[in-house]
Amino acid sequence: MSSQIEIKVPDLGGASEVDVIEVMVASGDRIAKDDSLITLESDKASMDIPAPQEGVVTQVKLKEGDKASQGDVILLLEALPSAEATKQSQQQTTKTETTSADANQTTEQTIVVPDIGGATDVDVIEVMVTPGDQITKDDSLITLESDKASMDVPSPYSGTMKSVVLKVGAKVSQGDAIAVIEITDAAANQAAPIQPPETVSSETATKSSTPAATPSSPTQQQTASSNEIYAGPAVRRMAREFDLDLTQIIGTGPKGRIQTQDVQHFVKQRMQAGRGVGLSVPTPPVVDFSQFGEVTSQPLTKIKRLTGENVHRNWLTIPHVTQFDQADITELEAFRQANKHHAEQQGFKLTPLAFIMKVVVKALQTFPQFNASLDPSGQQLIYKKYFHLGVAVETPNGLVVPVIRDVDGKGVLALAQELASISQKAREKRLMPNEMTGSCMSISSLGGIGGTAFTPIINGTDVAILGISRASTQPVWQHDQFIPRLMLPLSLSYDHRVIDGAEAARFTQYLADCLGDIRHLVL
Amino acid sequence: MAEQKQTQVVVLGSGPGGYTAAFRAADLGKKVILVERFSNIGGVCLNVGCIPSKALLHVAKVIDEADALSQHGVKFGKPQIDPKRLVSWKDGVVKRLTGGLAALAKQRKVEIMTGEGQFIDDHHLKVTTDKGDVTIEFEHAIIAAGSEAVRLPFIPEDPRIFTSTGALQLPNTQCNMLVIGGGIIGLEMANVYHSLGAKITIVEFMNQLMPGADVDIVKPLHKRVEKRYQNIWLETKVTAVEAKKDGLYVTFEGKNAPTKPQKFDQILLSVGRSPNGHRIGADKAGVQVDERGFIAVDHQLRTNVDHIFAVGDIVGQPMLAHKSIPQGKIAAEVIAGMKHYFEPRAIASVAYTDPEVAWVGLTETQAKAENIPYEKGVFPWAASGRALSNGREEGITKLLFDPTTQRVLGAGIIGTQAGDLIAEVALAIEMGCDAQDIALTIHPHPTLAETVAQAAEAFEGTITDLYLPKKKKSDKQRAA
Ligand SMILES: Cc1cc2nc3c(=O)[nH]c(=O)nc-3n(C[C@H](O)[C@H](O)[C@H](O)COP(=O)(O)OP(=O)(O)OC[C@H]3O[C@@H](n4cnc5c(N)ncnc54)[C@H](O)[C@@H]3O)c2cc1C
Repeated sequence: MSSQIEIKVPDLGGASEVDVIEVMVASGDRIAKDDSLITLESDKASMDIPAPQEGVVTQVKLKEGDKASQGDVILLLEALPSAEATKQSQQQTTKTETTSADANQTTEQTIVVPDIGGATDVDVIEVMVTPGDQITKDDSLITLESDKASMDVPSPYSGTMKSVVLKVGAKVSQGDAIAVIEITDAAANQAAPIQPPETVSSETATKSSTPAATPSSPTQQQTASSNEIYAGPAVRRMAREFDLDLTQIIGTGPKGRIQTQDVQHFVKQRMQAGRGVGLSVPTPPVVDFSQFGEVTSQPLTKIKRLTGENVHRNWLTIPHVTQFDQADITELEAFRQANKHHAEQQGFKLTPLAFIMKVVVKALQTFPQFNASLDPSGQQLIYKKYFHLGVAVETPNGLVVPVIRDVDGKGVLALAQELASISQKAREKRLMPNEMTGSCMSISSLGGIGGTAFTPIINGTDVAILGISRASTQPVWQHDQFIPRLMLPLSLSYDHRVIDGAEAARFTQYLADCLGDIRHLVL
Repeated sequence: MAEQKQTQVVVLGSGPGGYTAAFRAADLGKKVILVERFSNIGGVCLNVGCIPSKALLHVAKVIDEADALSQHGVKFGKPQIDPKRLVSWKDGVVKRLTGGLAALAKQRKVEIMTGEGQFIDDHHLKVTTDKGDVTIEFEHAIIAAGSEAVRLPFIPEDPRIFTSTGALQLPNTQCNMLVIGGGIIGLEMANVYHSLGAKITIVEFMNQLMPGADVDIVKPLHKRVEKRYQNIWLETKVTAVEAKKDGLYVTFEGKNAPTKPQKFDQILLSVGRSPNGHRIGADKAGVQVDERGFIAVDHQLRTNVDHIFAVGDIVGQPMLAHKSIPQGKIAAEVIAGMKHYFEPRAIASVAYTDPEVAWVGLTETQAKAENIPYEKGVFPWAASGRALSNGREEGITKLLFDPTTQRVLGAGIIGTQAGDLIAEVALAIEMGCDAQDIALTIHPHPTLAETVAQAAEAFEGTITDLYLPKKKKSDKQRAA
């Protein structure tokens, strides 16, 4: 028996109109399951589309240069009845044990841990069902957590929970029993094969509808130094081209060797998952503005472009949160006014920023986790024993952030003077690259311009940045009346991977306290 | 005013690093000018390095093999050596290769400019040609200016004293020659001169010949040359050389130093090579050069100046043609926008002496110094049918493995053709092969290549060509 089937382009993760760059089969070819049929290439990656089953190609519908989207017919295949195929489909349904033969009434099914990308001994960190629960297909049953990711395992059936086998803290591998479910509506469940949670293993698998599931599969332990990665030079080069971390990729070759197909598969998964490695950042539309009126264009300055790259990277890679607060600087301002002539005599200004820098360093000393950087692996926090502060300076060419070193060892006047000279240098474009590196934290002051608050983006490899807006006199309720106080708005953006909200709130509060009464500095 | 030219890529130096970079860049669609101070392109490797030395080593080997046959019942007459013809044959080999390179350049429309190049700023190179100065304005530059032999300050200028470059002209092969420096180049040249009839003394500052290679791997070579050469003085150095009419009087100091100055007819200086970083006006382009003349580069061969790259001997050790070549390729590819990196896991070193000595990846010396755990598998060639048939059983093939993953970490091989055998291990290291992968790969019999698989079997304890009383426990477990 044979039949004609249409082989279609599978889900490309939403990508459409993708270029067909190679067609590897011709009509008359006999192909096996998983043979590559065509290669598609988007502007981010290329991938092979494998045959979903074996057969003989009767007609190829796509040719090189075509654009393909999901559902387009690639070719017509004359299917062969194959022992392999039937065995496979059998396996899928017999993966679950039927404890009752009567399919029309109620059936008991043991639900097992699905394919979790080869990971074994994975921790069960949550069990969401108890016996008696009514479950709908795809409801989450348990949460697993490997060292790479956590994921929910959805129920492949609807029914009533008979018993739950696993407990929190258990370690499981593929095939281990999770629970026994009594299926009430056997017909509705019959065709439901167990679907691996988001570890997309077959080309046509669609995304699981479990919202809590994380897209990354719990991969095996290919950590350690890159020299221990089991991959040949061609694969390592490919990973470099796609900016991939090979420790994240599961090798399917002999002894777990990472092969080119594994890298391709990984890239495709990422494309389908629609996130990660910036592969799916949408590009802005091309607009011809001249249709709306007269325009001219000018290249961005080099500083703007570099700053742009940095802020873009940090914006994408650091989970920012911004904490807002206000500091009462009435006293500080009076003190500054009273002492500014000391500076003026020496030809510079005693700015509030010099005081703020001192206060920030005091806060860094008190909260050392703010004087830190995350190492590239994201596994370690590097604490700094020095106190260098970046100060954002506006120049005609763009924003630069010179760094003032060892602020802890300098007095306010000395800082004010250094600020004046380094800002001057920045505006004259005389800053050396090493004068712009090494900051622990940065301050961006828009106080001279205006605004009530803003959300600064963290600079370099810092974990926080302090934004200063314009101070204004505001009525403050003290004792039993409103009194006018000079209030300075503070906006502290921080890296939420390193710093918790409460810590940031305390840090900002501390800044406000110290600015409110700078005698704190000598405490 | 100097003539002006513009190009996308200028390559300074036409050695293996330079010509490869130039050709690859041209193949990737770039307009390329290749600048070389000498009229022959090809650099040290083709003109005064790898190729001519190997041509002479080939001759030396045939002479020695013919001689060795006299013990097995085949006697040839004493060789009649005509050094002039020998040199002209060797020069012919070089000419064919450099001529071939010139043709390859032409086919690719790579312009070759003969003259000394110096940077004048980060986008201009001045070339002093015999028709006057030319200023080349470039978008990208690849520095491949190579290295030259180190000279010792206390050694006088004398036509009887030369480096490898002079030695390749075979000025006098029937003499009493001192080789200062027992590294690869010194030992190769000593090999040539000895086979052609010279008496050889080697003096080496370190405690072994060929520092860098494991002692056990060098030992068979040491044993062989010990018998053939007059003296091998380790842990000894030369402190003075006096050039007199009747000879060169050399004073030694150290463990094996003779008390009195010794007289030699000729001296080969082979104490290392120093990079040419200080002779190209790098500072004008803002390219940083360290004290010794090396230029630091990143994994894409980029110097501290973004659009200027450097490859080959000038970027550091190992100073080998087979390192320069892939670096040249990658620099060109990066310039053409490809995201390639130079990240080999291992680069082999080979001495083309007789027997050859080759090593790749981890050495035992290094493993011990850096506390890297390893286990080894050793196969002595005395058990190799092919080695015995060749009449050369002194070889050893040694593989080092990671004790936990059993992956191959390095190898040292001594024996005829060791340089060709080592390539397999380089591939194995790159591919992360373990002992079984190598042992289970069927190697043709009888070959010397077989010894690589046999060393892996020796490590596994599955070898039958040797009897190793102590079996590995992993194997017992497997059998149990
Ligand atoms: C005797 C000997 C034997 C060797 N045998 C081997 C071997 O068997 N295998 C091996 O791998 N390696 C061998 N080497 C080492 C090998 O020759 C070098 O590693 C290789 O040549 C380095 O290539 P390169 O491109 O870096 O530079 P080089 O080959 O040194 O070429 C640099 C070129 O730049 C030119 N140049 C320099 N400055 C300027 C300038 N300012 N303007 C214009 N041109 C300039 C030089 O004239 C030279 O032609 C041997 C070396 C010697 C000396």
